[in-house]
Amino acid sequence: MKKVCDNWQAAFPAGKVSPEFWAAFEENAKNAGAEIFKVKTAAEAKDIVANLAKFTNAKKVVAVDSALQASANINEELKELGITVYNDATDIAEHAESADIGISTVEFAIGESGSLCMDGYAFESRLVTMLPPIHIAFVNSNAVVAGINEAFEIISKVYDNGYVSFITGPSRTADIERVLTIGVHGPSRLVIIAVDEAINGGVN
Amino acid sequence: MESANRDIKREINEKLHDQVLRGALGRFAEAYPTARAKAYENVEDVEALREQFRQLKIDTVNNIEAVADEFEASVTKRGGKVFRAKDGDAVKQYLIDLCKKANVKRIVKSKSMASEEIHLNHALEEAGLHVKETDLGEWIISLAGHKPSHMVMPAIHLNKEQIAEYFSKELQQEIPTDIPFMVQAARKALRTEFLQADMGISGANFGIAENGAIGLVTNEGNARLVTTLPRVHVVIIGYEKLIPKIQDAAPILRMLPRNATGQRMTSYMTMTTGQTPVMVKQDGKWVEQPKELHVILIDNGRLKAAKDPKFKEIYNCVRCASCLNVCPVYTIVGGHVYGHIYAGGIGAILTAFLHSMGDFEKINELCIGCRKCVSICPGKMNIPGLIEELRAQSVKENGLPFGVKAVFENVLANRKVFHTLLRLAAIGQKPFQSGKVIRHLPLFLAGLAKDRSLPAVADVPFRDRVHKINRKISNPKKRVAFFSGCNIDFIFPETGESVYKVLHDLNMEVVFPEDQSCCGKPVLGMGDRETAKRIAKKNIEAFEQTNADIYLAACPTCTETWHETYVELLHDEPEWKVRVEKIAHKFREFSQFVSEEYAKAGRLNKVAGGTKVTYHDSCHMKRGLNIYEEPRQLLEAAKGYDFVEMKDCDKCCGMAGAFGVKYAELSMPILKQKIQNIKDSGADVIAVGCPACMMQIQGGLDKQLPNVKIKHVAEILAENI
Repeated sequence: MKKVCDNWQAAFPAGKVSPEFWAAFEENAKNAGAEIFKVKTAAEAKDIVANLAKFTNAKKVVAVDSALQASANINEELKELGITVYNDATDIAEHAESADIGISTVEFAIGESGSLCMDGYAFESRLVTMLPPIHIAFVNSNAVVAGINEAFEIISKVYDNGYVSFITGPSRTADIERVLTIGVHGPSRLVIIAVDEAINGGVN
Repeated sequence: MESANRDIKREINEKLHDQVLRGALGRFAEAYPTARAKAYENVEDVEALREQFRQLKIDTVNNIEAVADEFEASVTKRGGKVFRAKDGDAVKQYLIDLCKKANVKRIVKSKSMASEEIHLNHALEEAGLHVKETDLGEWIISLAGHKPSHMVMPAIHLNKEQIAEYFSKELQQEIPTDIPFMVQAARKALRTEFLQADMGISGANFGIAENGAIGLVTNEGNARLVTTLPRVHVVIIGYEKLIPKIQDAAPILRMLPRNATGQRMTSYMTMTTGQTPVMVKQDGKWVEQPKELHVILIDNGRLKAAKDPKFKEIYNCVRCASCLNVCPVYTIVGGHVYGHIYAGGIGAILTAFLHSMGDFEKINELCIGCRKCVSICPGKMNIPGLIEELRAQSVKENGLPFGVKAVFENVLANRKVFHTLLRLAAIGQKPFQSGKVIRHLPLFLAGLAKDRSLPAVADVPFRDRVHKINRKISNPKKRVAFFSGCNIDFIFPETGESVYKVLHDLNMEVVFPEDQSCCGKPVLGMGDRETAKRIAKKNIEAFEQTNADIYLAACPTCTETWHETYVELLHDEPEWKVRVEKIAHKFREFSQFVSEEYAKAGRLNKVAGGTKVTYHDSCHMKRGLNIYEEPRQLLEAAKGYDFVEMKDCDKCCGMAGAFGVKYAELSMPILKQKIQNIKDSGADVIAVGCPACMMQIQGGLDKQLPNVKIKHVAEILAENI
């Protein structure tokens, strides 16, 4: 899958990406309506995904693969539950609209705002975060920057062409009588699964 | 395109009686300041952030052509096409041609104020294209056939019952007034639109010259779909949204969501540049292809503004609409009264540049100059200052209305005539007077002052009392020349007497130059710079003869006029510039000056007394002179008083010069809120430092809260001498 940058971690400025910003991230992301699970290993992450799929009675999942996901064997676990998992670009294009859950991995998290920074160069990597009613986002819990300034320090190093975005909580509106309502055009649930263990050259 | 024959007064009255609008706006105005403050709690230095952004925008506008060239080159290099449109017609023609060429039938749009500005949708529909707004609020108003009433919350003027009716009609099924259900119905209807669209049209919150990326912030997620799903993406972006570097987006993103909605970040922030991949179904098979990208850089008056030394400041606007959220007038009448697309004070300015001066003239008086917006604007725009400047330009080109012109040039510019008329007023008002207030102020204010009490003109003006109260001070510490201003001279002479008493008590000699007149601010407020200059020069002549150590006023507006306005007015007359600066440097506001002297004398110790007193910050005092601690220190140290704060102590009382008289119907609800806050504070006395606020608030107390007394800070100090 083509990305804006194949190695974001190489652009992380020394000393500015650290688990010390996790608490701020967690607080702000929760305030924005995100659901957060912090786990030590990819194996634990797998259980959370499986439980969520069971509880929501999911039948169809679209997922863009990443090292983190692959190491947790998530797709296999879901298939064992009788869920159809699509992870090929054309399949995602065909099925994202009718899928129950979309799964992706983001590059890093931002403490100041509770945001996730996502590399969305590939069309399918965007669809899985946009169209299904639930978006599960994996992030390495050590890949957190303090603020938006630091986030842009990283982005400015890698961003030449394509699509980069922040996701902060679920889709929301207050356009009718200023009443906060969740899930307009995007997912109504953002489930963040933060994994402590570094996978495939992750930050420690 | 000027909207002829608008009856602003009638429109305002309709809005004042629109309970839906008043309810929604009132609740929002109530909640907004707290939400914003909370969002900024984790930003260490908000002022530094605003200053950093302001500087960035100033540097950018000064090089706008170079930045735009780089932006264009960056987009082009990555496969996008850039079209520089001089106006709305050019945008429409380009898009209609493009739709033909690219075989586009269906279009989805995410919010773009620039496209509203040029009424794009209408033109596209006329050309036979299927166009859908996808922002929920924009979709609602497009169904209703309304204009947006707020830049961030375009449908804030409608309630759920009204919206359910529009939905039912559009979706041809009964939609209940349950908001989550309505939102889901909209999601379903619009999802089909996204999936079928050939073209997505978006605006941009910023455009980066370095790599041609545009940035979009949304909460609903519609901009992500508009920029992702259709095979063609068109960006409509104004020159003012350009920034040089990728990292320059950081200050915008740190402030825009916090200021707009009190969020630390919107749900989605999207940046896209170049021909991103898109998958389309061809003959039943998904095929990946590079997305066709067109970026329309729209001028429509923006480049002219960029070259104007004052109005280039409109480039500092990030369209967060926070200026509306704190505007005392907007929060009462909503956006539609402003007529064009952009509402509020910022809307008045943008309307002048992007629409027509004629439309500006109809709405410019709705800015009361309280500067609440200046104190929170991410780009630190001086919105009231720019409006005053536009008024001045308009008066220079078109002149003043005949009656006003006659009064300004023949009355206000001639002290003797002005003062004679005020003396006559003191006699003439008698039949209308009850106690200290009158129902109608006679003479030239008649007809404008319906339905409200105004303070009576004093029987004996302050200037005629000076000789009785003045004392010879042996070995005076300082010689002070007192500028009373019209209000103290003719409405509240007792306040002037208190000022004298306090200064005498400080062992200071006080002089009153007889030839002083109105400071000229009301004239300037109407845009008449020439008359204001004549008044300024007369006052300067009167004061430079006094040989005083200190010049002093007990009115923040007069003080500010001397400090800044005179200097600015006379900056291109070298001789006068020197003369006014000499005085301006030594011109002091009463409460600040006295608090310093009291501090030196050890007279600022807090005391507790029986009478509860609260303080109203005048707009010009707090946001003009940055004086708000000093009067509180004086009140806390005043014997017999117990100081308490009230809610929204620094919100405008609604007087704002001539506004309170001319737009009484708007001024009254603002005043009513102020009186309620005074009542809720439990204070027996409301202290003020500004005679104009005193006039306004006294009128409100008289009707709603007669047991509470209003006193100038000087009077409270004088009581303790």
